[in-house]
Amino acid sequence: MQFKDQIDFIRQHMKRNKLRVATTILAATMGCAFLIVLASIGFGLHQTLTDDVLNNNLVTEIEVAGKAGEETDLSPGEIPDAEVQQMREMQHVAAVVERNRPDAETKVVIGERSTYSNVVLSSMEEEQKAGFGLSEGKMPANANEVVIGYHTADMLLTEAEQEKQEKGEEVSGFAGSLIGQTIELQLTPFMNEGDEKTEMAAWEFVVTGVAKEPAKDWMTDTGVYADSSWGAIFNEELNMQPGYENILVYADDLQNVGGITNALKEDGYYVYSVTEELGTVNVFFNALKAGLIFVGTIAVLIASIGIFNTMTMAVTERTREIGVMKAIGAQPKLIRKLFLMESAAIGVIGTVLAVVISYGISMLSNWLIPIIVMSSLGEDQPEDFTIIISTIPWQLVVIASVISIGVAMVSGWNPARKATQIDVIQALRQEM
Amino acid sequence: MITISELQHHFKIGKKGNERLVPVLKGVTLEVGNGEIVAILGKSGSGKSTLLHILAGFMSPEAGSVLVNGQETSALKESEQASFRLANFGFIFQNFQLMPGLSAFENVELPLKILGMDEADRKKKVQQMLGKVGLQEVSGHYPNELSGGQQQRVSIARALITDAPIILADEPTGSLDSETEKEILLLIQSLNKKLGLTFVIITHDEEVAAVADRQYHLHDGELVKGEQRHAV
Repeated sequence: MQFKDQIDFIRQHMKRNKLRVATTILAATMGCAFLIVLASIGFGLHQTLTDDVLNNNLVTEIEVAGKAGEETDLSPGEIPDAEVQQMREMQHVAAVVERNRPDAETKVVIGERSTYSNVVLSSMEEEQKAGFGLSEGKMPANANEVVIGYHTADMLLTEAEQEKQEKGEEVSGFAGSLIGQTIELQLTPFMNEGDEKTEMAAWEFVVTGVAKEPAKDWMTDTGVYADSSWGAIFNEELNMQPGYENILVYADDLQNVGGITNALKEDGYYVYSVTEELGTVNVFFNALKAGLIFVGTIAVLIASIGIFNTMTMAVTERTREIGVMKAIGAQPKLIRKLFLMESAAIGVIGTVLAVVISYGISMLSNWLIPIIVMSSLGEDQPEDFTIIISTIPWQLVVIASVISIGVAMVSGWNPARKATQIDVIQALRQEM
Repeated sequence: MITISELQHHFKIGKKGNERLVPVLKGVTLEVGNGEIVAILGKSGSGKSTLLHILAGFMSPEAGSVLVNGQETSALKESEQASFRLANFGFIFQNFQLMPGLSAFENVELPLKILGMDEADRKKKVQQMLGKVGLQEVSGHYPNELSGGQQQRVSIARALITDAPIILADEPTGSLDSETEKEILLLIQSLNKKLGLTFVIITHDEEVAAVADRQYHLHDGELVKGEQRHAV
């Protein structure tokens, strides 16, 4: 029998038992939709957390926190320059930035205005390669030029403004652009045990650029980014120990972060990257999603009882017809195939409907739940609700379809097998 | 064409553990030639349906053999038997055995669908066949919209559609009135003459058996040769 005729054959049979087939399809749809919607919550939460991790990190950044030594571990500052250079020469490494923070309290002063800050000493050339972003101006071309943080100007206040701010009043900070302005950087070493007092020293720098706005609204950047050559000058002038240093390796692409991270780990470095954080998140959420899919599969299995029942009744009702078909020359495998196709058709129709309904429920929940949650919290900005309640990636659709159609076919297997075993003589004796 | 040799078969009767064997066929031997009409007469329970079922391959004999066009049918597997039936046999049943959900046209078309024939060729062939049995007018009717005679004509058309050389008829007029019975018997005779088809008719009715070239009586599992053809 040609495939088109087989489809036609099962379509005719399904049409004859419209109500029963429709209710079975409904059960299959509900089971599959339950599976998809349930698992979509896991996928939604996973995406929320992944987005959060990716938004809070420069995704191509790998932090080198130290190295395992023979006797003691090395801090980032103790890693030899030759090894840092080796990191720069690794494949897919765009830049390696060594950032140093002096062990001192830092203040930025311009005229009557001042603010506490933190100095980041780094190679401006490497920072540029690493994709250091500016909101205005340009990167420093010589050692007495600096880039300031995005919020530094806003935080530069007079004493009167500082008092107002302490009282909770609004203050505006430095008006206009700091580009081209000369700022004074005052460093006062932190007191160590045994120190009675520490001396302050000051240096002047010209501002050439303002760093780009931090990714998150709640982050404040009041930093001063200066050339790394100042580290030795500050330490010598103020008699300080080398400050805290960290090494940041930048990959040329997100997909190479994992490879570089693993290579550095193999070389004994303690590293941290977005792939590490996502790895832990992924393990947890993959387990959660698997659990939700398992629970959803139970609903599909319950629906499969309906399919089994429908197909068993179909075989019982059509015993005489099956007998006639066998008598006039239909192969047992054709009869089995026709019944399997019928149960698969129930599964396919149920799955297609379930996917459409699930997308509808997913969109509705992502629209409605933030409104309900935010209004219950007294907020009127649902867009501030950043949690994705439900998302249905194509992988979930494929998994649910395979489970749903597979279960439907397994449910139809036994009735189909029974159909092939029908005795022609007994079947022909049945009344119409 | 058909050679039945020393066919033996028993049925088990009684409750499990207390069964007894009842012989149904006791060494039946029969030869049917090409283009012959052979009638097997017998009372209810005489074993005539069992003989037809073995001949059709619906069941296997306990002993003996059935050769159809040189092929030992009891040696075939179930799937091979299905293909063999499709190629060699057409069936006419007492209760017509039409598919209630299919129209007259679709019922006749069914064996060709099973055969895998193209739709265009199939439709043409079914139209011609319905013409031969005089059912063109009612081709779109469903079995419950047809008279007994019309249903049996549909059944005959379905038996002939695959060009099978042998038609096995089990009480072909058993559900029909005498007028319609005559019509159907004339149709069988006409098809036998025009198409040279071989008919094996199982019946308890002497009048039906009268259309046959040769008649046999099955009595207590033994086959006895009866009368030759005389006019219907």
